[in-house]
Amino acid sequence: MSFDLPHEARKTAGTEIEPGRAYGFFTDTSVCIGCKACEVACKEWNQLPAEEDGLSGLSYDNTVDLSATTWRHVAFIEQMDHRPDGETPEFQSRWLMSSDVCKHCDPAPCLEACPTGAIFRTEFDTVVVQQDICNGCGYCVPACPFGVVDLDDVDGKAHKCTMCYDRLKGGMAPACSKVCPTDSIQFGPLDELIPRAEDRVAELHERGTTDAYLYGAPGHPGATGGIEKLNAFFLLLDRPEVYNFPAAPTRPANRIAPALGTGLAAFAGLALVAATLLGPRR
Amino acid sequence: MTVPSLLPKYPRRRHGPQGRLDLSDAWHGQSYYGQPALKNPQWDWKVSGYIAVAGAAGAAQALSFLGSLRDREVFRGARRNANLIGLAGAAAGSALLIADLKTPKRFYNMLRILRPTSPMSLGTYILGAFGVTTAVSALGDLAPMRRRPALRRVADVAQAGAALSGAGAATYTAALMSATSNPYWAAAPRGLGAQFATSAVAAGAAALALGERAGGRSGSARRLEDVAACAAASHVVASLAASAGRRASGVGPGPGEGGQPSGSTKAVVMGALPLAAYAMGRASRSPPLAVSASLALIAGSFLLRHHMLEQGKRAARRPATGFRFAQPHNLPRRRRLDRSG
Ligand code: SF4
Ligand code: SF4
Repeated sequence: MSFDLPHEARKTAGTEIEPGRAYGFFTDTSVCIGCKACEVACKEWNQLPAEEDGLSGLSYDNTVDLSATTWRHVAFIEQMDHRPDGETPEFQSRWLMSSDVCKHCDPAPCLEACPTGAIFRTEFDTVVVQQDICNGCGYCVPACPFGVVDLDDVDGKAHKCTMCYDRLKGGMAPACSKVCPTDSIQFGPLDELIPRAEDRVAELHERGTTDAYLYGAPGHPGATGGIEKLNAFFLLLDRPEVYNFPAAPTRPANRIAPALGTGLAAFAGLALVAATLLGPRR
Repeated sequence: MTVPSLLPKYPRRRHGPQGRLDLSDAWHGQSYYGQPALKNPQWDWKVSGYIAVAGAAGAAQALSFLGSLRDREVFRGARRNANLIGLAGAAAGSALLIADLKTPKRFYNMLRILRPTSPMSLGTYILGAFGVTTAVSALGDLAPMRRRPALRRVADVAQAGAALSGAGAATYTAALMSATSNPYWAAAPRGLGAQFATSAVAAGAAALALGERAGGRSGSARRLEDVAACAAASHVVASLAASAGRRASGVGPGPGEGGQPSGSTKAVVMGALPLAAYAMGRASRSPPLAVSASLALIAGSFLLRHHMLEQGKRAARRPATGFRFAQPHNLPRRRRLDRSG
């Protein structure tokens, strides 16, 4: 018998989890306190091994980046000079903290690149790697515009955030969003999350935090170049690059036609030349 | 599922005293402690070697097919060699690709699906088609087969197939590299396509020419060397265009990132040296010069692919290169209009 609530997410995330609806994360970095509870909860639930145990020297960030065995990563950005107008009191830095994660892009470059079908789109509109199919070709790795998915040296397969596919199937919100003490990580259906995020930006602007903007929601920076939306989208307070995000990512598959088309055209042109040169000479 | 299409409700912020972000602003070199923003594939010489092998083998089949169409007698030997090069290329290429997998015993999972958005998936079938048609075409070279006209015709049809799939095998690898988020590979998809195609034809023609020289058939060798020279000349042009395309997208070496000879310098050396050798070989009627030019072209085709692979991996480790490429002004024009409208 199970001690789990049948629809736990109703209580923890205020939402039903039903197949056929698009779910995502809204990571509101303006309230992140850098506690790294999300990193720990992710490691525990997904049974991911620890990595480096040293100190990176990069502020309080000793995780440094996402990897095959790290699916949430809290970035720490200390800014001493963020207000060139001199309004910042001396010695008072600004802290930007942001919990990074796989963006579950739509369309997802890693999925579009995967030749085995190991990467698929789930009934919750999330992107998952099936470990029993991946053969470690590694093509998803350079395909990802955000440097997320990676091969693991131990098992030779690609790994990344599953948005807790197993938990979603059981009616539970993903582990990171459930533990986040400030609601910086919010999980829910996109048709509720996106308006909520828009309202949050408006509220921050009203309060004078006019730096706030959405990254990855449809029509916003991050959802560019053929990538329609990032199901895991963010509220950011500085340029995307500051958080290690590209300002205008593009869908790699859009480059197949120009590369292959020009290649074949050049080949055909030289074939014509060859047909002339290889013929009998007078 | 309906996601409301939400264009930003809020006016794009200007660069005010407080507002720090406006994406139409130039990017001023910010990064996250200089950490790479992209990950690299664990591809090594096996992948670049495969790309070169598939290019030379595919082009050799296409050229010998064209030669046989124009002058069947003169190119009989070249055709046999092309079949052998094709067989060896398909076998070595598959072996290299499987060896590069991190879970090689699952190589057959490549055949589970055909995914048009994945050049790696397309390439699996292109290489498969090339291997099968080449094998059938090579069967036609066996003595007992040659006596039966019906079988000879089958072999001819198969070689036409090998020529077509060979063109695919020589060029799809440009799409394979371009259809990634690696700034160096992605910045000039058209240029890369032209670079790989011209280099493949040069190497394929050079390989066939070497075979003709070895077989003492200097007539066909000279014609093939002319083709190789033309391809090498177009390769220089393609490389210059590709370098210009990369620079235009901000993927040239930036300040403090130099120290490497530029791509165009290398292309000129790789293409122009063999060209000069062919010309001199022509003028002085010296087969050794022509042979060394052919060898140089083949070596150059391997170096080019390896250089591409390594430059891309180096670029991905520098956040600045990727960030310069992923700026709004590099977005395809149509999309940009969509977004502002
Ligand atoms: S962020 Fe990368 S790994 Fe995640 S869905 Fe997008 S392309 Fe795939
Ligand atoms: S490494 Fe695995 S998941 Fe990634 S593209 Fe290859 S088969 Fe697909």
